[in-house]
Amino acid sequence: MSTQEKVNINKLPTGVPGLDEIVGGGLPEFSFNIIAGAPGSGKTTLAHQFVFANATVERPALYFTVLGESTIKMLRYQQQYTFFDSSKLPDSIRFINLSQIVLEKDLGAVLEEITKEVEKTNPAVVVVDSFRTMVRKQESSMDLQSFIQRLALFLASWQATTFLIGEYAEEELRDNPIFTVADGLFWMRQTAERNSIVRKLQVIKLRGQNSVPGLHTFRITDAGVQAFSRTFGLTARKRNPPNDRRLSFGIAELDKMHGGGVREGDSVLITGASGTGKSVLATQFIAEGISHGESGIVAVFEERPEAYAERAASLGLDLETPLKDGKLAILYLRPLDLSVDETMQSILDAVQKIGAKRLVIDSLAGFEMALSPGFRADFRESLYRMIFALTGIGVTILSTVEVEESFTEFPFSTYSISFLADDIIRLRYVSIDGQLRKIMVVIKMRGGNHAKDIREYEITSKGMVILGKRLTEFQGLISGIPVYSNRSDRKEDPAHEPEIGNK
Amino acid sequence: MRDLAQRLLAYEVGVGKNSEPIESPTLRVYEKLRQSLGTSVGVAGFYSLASRALVLARPEVPSLHGMQISEDGALHGLGEIETEIDRKNDRAGEGGIILIARLLGLLRLFLGEALTLSLLRNAWPCEVFDDRDSGNGRKA
Repeated sequence: MSTQEKVNINKLPTGVPGLDEIVGGGLPEFSFNIIAGAPGSGKTTLAHQFVFANATVERPALYFTVLGESTIKMLRYQQQYTFFDSSKLPDSIRFINLSQIVLEKDLGAVLEEITKEVEKTNPAVVVVDSFRTMVRKQESSMDLQSFIQRLALFLASWQATTFLIGEYAEEELRDNPIFTVADGLFWMRQTAERNSIVRKLQVIKLRGQNSVPGLHTFRITDAGVQAFSRTFGLTARKRNPPNDRRLSFGIAELDKMHGGGVREGDSVLITGASGTGKSVLATQFIAEGISHGESGIVAVFEERPEAYAERAASLGLDLETPLKDGKLAILYLRPLDLSVDETMQSILDAVQKIGAKRLVIDSLAGFEMALSPGFRADFRESLYRMIFALTGIGVTILSTVEVEESFTEFPFSTYSISFLADDIIRLRYVSIDGQLRKIMVVIKMRGGNHAKDIREYEITSKGMVILGKRLTEFQGLISGIPVYSNRSDRKEDPAHEPEIGNK
Repeated sequence: MRDLAQRLLAYEVGVGKNSEPIESPTLRVYEKLRQSLGTSVGVAGFYSLASRALVLARPEVPSLHGMQISEDGALHGLGEIETEIDRKNDRAGEGGIILIARLLGLLRLFLGEALTLSLLRNAWPCEVFDDRDSGNGRKA
């Protein structure tokens, strides 16, 4: 059979932000799905979002409620969500209570009632909530299997996309006929980790299309369930081909040390102790981009946006104007209870909203601290995914990370995240002539040559200024406690240019 | 909700004039609510609401003590509390108005006005709800 003869499976919007991306563009039309999870995990809310997103007067949704939460209470609570549109009831969405039939009769009668309502209404969507309570009655497994197969066949034939909602434990995945029959199986989990609730969603099975594997964080807000794809919604976007365009840091000497600037789409890590000027360098980087028409995002965790802009102004950098013009966004993210994916989604949304070409994350330590404790274990992995996704679409990322100053070693980062960075710039203090002075060195520049020079710099009222001399008169600079060397050529050539050599 | 109850009852008076057998408008409104809400909230759900409404209405109209609601949600004893004049004129007595108003009031309490009206629109034509001057159910 040629590809032209393949059936086209329509994808229905889930109504859940982020979930369409996870399920591969939408839920397959006419599929028979299970939403499973513990009580309170958001199953009913997710089903409601799907119903409200797809039900129409012509092709309504039938929502069968069974034993469990009363319909009155369910409607009372669900209407608090912003997606709940009362005007859709009852013409587009009909709630039908099956409790009496379930209590008094058998599964055959339940199927008969569902059949009757479906034939009468011709629905596009059918939900049975909770399916689990319906089958808890002591029916034989053969009865149950037969019921599920007949129900699935009937609803598919009537061109209905179906959700059965149930409180299942994961160990029930085996030997339960419902999971075999289902086309889609969505598992919603919520666990308490320290003082935080961690919610995750997994598409265990989805016939007919590729879904994003793994556990996806989700949150329940006033708008209902919001899912955060592990791929941050960027799987559909092509990665930009590598290019050699260089972006200026806004510090000419530092550009020279990088052979003309940082490569577009690189991830740059600025590491150093507190007060070494990491944030100053980051601010200059973002301001330089804006001066060249490149919009930017600054994600800050340790100071408020106003303070950040004021500090930039003290360096002669105007961030207020681009903030007003929408060319710059400063995100202050420190809710302490966010998932890493959720936080990163905020950054991604901002990047995409203003078409940012430069992103500053100041700092990674603050970022990690802003997360719910339960998510910190995922930090490096999620950071990797975000950096990979963003640099792939050409965003250049500059992250700062604080390292504890040591006079016995020269760590690049306390996070073991150097592998996330294409370029690493290390700032550090050195003790010279009774002064605590500052030096920098480019440790790494993937795919390009960089200067090996150790350069002294100062933080002035104009920002970071690299002093004109390579420090040749000292030995042991990176120890922080250098000694004067006895070399006769220690006097530096005033016209010295940084040496760019092989890595 | 009293205004809305009266509008529903008034509508049923008009319908009742053309129908046989003659039933109390209160019973017609109640039965429509029972059918319409029973589908969505279930027999037990409707029974709970109606029973509560009756309890709330009784202090206002003592004659409602003679009425009962069976487990299937059916209303019994209405004939005994409606006056001869009400029946003759096919109009709802005060007891019926209060009972329906309390039932609608409970729905509004639990579901809010918008959703309550949406659910009722399934049982009555839109024009019954369009009379904004009557308070649109706001004057409970």
